[in-house]
Formats: sequence, structure tokens, C-alpha cells
Amino acid sequence: MIPITHFLYLAFGLFVIGMLGVLLRRNVLIVLMSIELMLNAANIALVAFSRLHGNLDGQVLAMFTIAVAAAEAAVGLAIVVSIFRSRTGTDIDDLSLLRD
Amino acid sequence: MSGSEIVFYVFAAVAVVSAIATVTRKNPVVAAVWLVATFFAVAVNYVLLSASFLAVLQVLVYAGAMMVLFVFVIMVLDVDEAGDTEHRRPSRVGRLGYSLALLLSGGMVIWVLVSTLSKQFITPGARLDPTGDFGSANAVGRRLFTDYLFAFEGVSLLLLAAVIGAVVVARSRREREKEAAAAGMSAEAMAAAGLEPPEELVPGPNPQTDFGQPSAGGHEGGT
Repeated sequence: MIPITHFLYLAFGLFVIGMLGVLLRRNVLIVLMSIELMLNAANIALVAFSRLHGNLDGQVLAMFTIAVAAAEAAVGLAIVVSIFRSRTGTDIDDLSLLRD
Repeated sequence: MSGSEIVFYVFAAVAVVSAIATVTRKNPVVAAVWLVATFFAVAVNYVLLSASFLAVLQVLVYAGAMMVLFVFVIMVLDVDEAGDTEHRRPSRVGRLGYSLALLLSGGMVIWVLVSTLSKQFITPGARLDPTGDFGSANAVGRRLFTDYLFAFEGVSLLLLAAVIGAVVVARSRREREKEAAAAGMSAEAMAAAGLEPPEELVPGPNPQTDFGQPSAGGHEGGT
């Protein structure tokens, strides 16, 4: 039987890796992928606690997280496309305005 | 060591290694492929946590739809894999990011280790053995369409808003100019909104003669 804390360590590791990616990388696409990693880590923790308590609410919440992550990726990538058209670059240090 | 433990440790290692590879690759396409590997490993962990329906959703939505979206956008953007901006000197915001990353991750390491090792946060005795259909599509769907029906409909509205938002945000300047002209916006109002009026709106001696000529600076990417 796998202890529940090991799933939490895995979720924690993925979350920290994603957070380091968000804070340290400059490519917008990699930053968006790191956000997906962090959402996945949160999902693992939700499902682990759902299993721990024998309650399905955590899995339902993880499903909502997946839907919100899909919406976030769609809008985020649309913003990246729009920014890339006007500034021809994906470096987030060059982006400080949300208008052109 | 039982079989499920071996599967867990193998796929946890796969998830962590491919997550590290995702955030360290220069080429976004390679990073996307590593991210798919992470998603599959996470899906295996969902199965181990008896969340089989969620594992299927993970593969379908993340590894299927979302990664295709990412790869499409990377192809549309035509990003070169030089990645030389990563080696530029970090700006002031970048240095703030480095210190914030160290602070946050170090704090999380300490917090998680303290709270899991002290056992006051997680009580191992609370573990329940799930019944047979725990995490199946039947059980989760029943919960989703009874207790969470309102939130479920709200998510559908959110997805609709995201689709519309993505389409509106990703329009090119030319498309926006065309839409503004179709909406009856005058040339002065469009100029005030930062748009270049299409050529048929510009008053000239004979607009039909230069039909098809590329305009000087009105096209996307010209600046």
C-alpha cells in the first residue's frame, strides 16, 4: 500500500518544478506549460485526499480544474498569438503592456 | 514491495524527470513532448488512486486536446529554437523572480516536510478502502449531475466564454479593421482606436485603381 504522503510528495515536487518554471523561464510558451504542471500537481493532491477520505468530491473538483485549465490554455495561447503578431517575440521580459 | 508500489515509484520518477525536462528545454516543441510524458505519468498515478475516469479525462483533455493546441500555436508562431533570450542578463524583474523562486520553493520544502513528518497534518488511520465503483464514470457522473449540477453548467459557460475570448483576442489587425469597417465605424474613429482604415474607406481620387496594392504599414507584423 502506497502511503498517501508519497502522493503528496509527488504533487509537491511537480508544483515546485512548475513554479520554478513560471518564475525563471522567459519563454511564454514554457511558462504556460509550467502553469499546466502546477495545475496537475494540485489535481494529484486533490485526488489523493479524495482517496484518503473515501469521498468523491475531490475527483469532481479535479475535473473542474481540468476544464478551467483548458479554458486558461486557450485564452493564454490566444494572447500569446496576439502579442507575437505585434511584437514578434515570446520573451516575457519584453511584455509589459496588454495593448498594442 | 508490491506491484502497485513499483508502478507508483517508477511513474512518479517519470513524472518528476519529465517535468524537469519540460521546464529546462529550450525548444518549446521538445518541452511540449516532455509535458505529454508528464501527463501520462500523472494519469497512471490517478489510476493508482482509483480515479480511473479522471485518468481517462487526463489523457483525453491534457495529452490530447491541450497539447495539440500548444503544438499548433508553436507552429503558427514559428518560434526559432535559438532561445538566446534566456542567456540575456536578468532584468530587475528577473532577479526578483530568482529570489522569489528560491524563497517560495524553499519555504514549501520546509512546510511540506514539517507537516508530513510531524503527522499532525495527515492522520494515516483515516484511510478508507474505496468501494468497487469508487472513481468510475458512473459514480463521478452521478455526483457531477446531482450535487455539482450548477457548477457543471457554470463550467460550460466558462468554456464558451473562453472560446469566444480566444477568438476575439487572437484576431489579426487586418481582421479587426475589416470588422470595424463592417460595423460602420468611420475612418476617424478607427484611427482613434489605433486601427488603419481599409483602403475602400480612405477618401481618395480613385480608390479602385490601387486595388490589390499592398498598403505600406497596415499589415500585421509590419512594425
